Amino acid sequence: MPDGVTSNDDVWVVIPVFNEHQVIAEVAEQVRATFPNVVCVDDGSRDGSAEQIAGTGAHLVRHPINMGQGAALQTGLSYARTRPGSQYFVTFDADGQHRVEDALALLEVARSGAADVVLGTRFGAGTGRIPLLKRLVLRTIVALSPTARKLKLTDAHNGLRVLTRPVVDDLRITMNGMPHASEIVSYLAGSSWRVREVPVTILYSDYSRAKGQSLVNGVNILFDLSIRQRGN
Amino acid sequence: MIVQIVLLAAVLAALVMFVRRRHGVHMQAGKRVGLIAFAALNVYAVLQPDRLTEVANRLGVGRGTDLVLYLLVVAFIFGMLNFYLRFREIDRRFTELTRTLAIREAEIVNAERHLTATRPVAVTVPAGADDRVATAPTRPTL
Repeated sequence: MPDGVTSNDDVWVVIPVFNEHQVIAEVAEQVRATFPNVVCVDDGSRDGSAEQIAGTGAHLVRHPINMGQGAALQTGLSYARTRPGSQYFVTFDADGQHRVEDALALLEVARSGAADVVLGTRFGAGTGRIPLLKRLVLRTIVALSPTARKLKLTDAHNGLRVLTRPVVDDLRITMNGMPHASEIVSYLAGSSWRVREVPVTILYSDYSRAKGQSLVNGVNILFDLSIRQRGN
Repeated sequence: MIVQIVLLAAVLAALVMFVRRRHGVHMQAGKRVGLIAFAALNVYAVLQPDRLTEVANRLGVGRGTDLVLYLLVVAFIFGMLNFYLRFREIDRRFTELTRTLAIREAEIVNAERHLTATRPVAVTVPAGADDRVATAPTRPTL
């Protein structure tokens, strides 16, 4: 690849979208200012998110029905890896809680060859800004997840990640719902990929807070995961 | 308290089945035999309630109906797990089907939006050729 470090032509940003019409166009354009290749996977939204995406320069993949964030991520990765020249894959949340600068920082680590997978963590810096209840939920998930402990991860459910091409070629997300984040972690723990965590800042706006994971969802994630590890 | 051992063993068997990665022909046959045996036991229980109570007493349960109830609970758990596994398999296939459709459609839509043709990668190869590479529905990427 002749791509210079600055052009980011070999990077694909995957944004799973479900009912985010208020913010998605802005988020997609913001990302595109740095990363020319963006694919938004509309996961069967009913609020016109797809039309919003169509108005931007981002690629659009539409699930005809809602299948969950994990399924949307896998679809986006499957699409992006067939694009010519794609080498790095960034997963990015649609609600605008991630910063593009952080994605660049993660990408730098991946480009340096120090890691095959770079995960964002909310617990590296500025922990105080995370709402207390959310912090408890996230900490509990990590504490109860043997795989997250094995990798010494501090944050198993951060939507900001950078995956290199060999990882994406190998990875298959089968958990369609929210547990996909833990599924990715347990996949990484069972593989020989080098994993790094890099601190990121989450922008907790009222919008993203209303959309984020609740305590109830934490219970669901734990249940789905325990079943998955038995059955499969 | 024989019954407790028997019932706990049955629940354990259900869990083991659930943990098993693959369900082979033997497992399938076993499930069917189990179902028929359970149905036969119920027929017997309806026809011979007194004999059933005797059996129940010998196993350490008060009445025959209680024994049937306990077995029903085990059978219910068993059936639930079975359905859950099958449902998940269907869900997995359904997801793959939907994903393939979504990506195919996206290839067309994004080509119409002139996204696949205007990618910076097109500079290095002839534009027409790149377009074809980009939009060709190659091997399923699942």
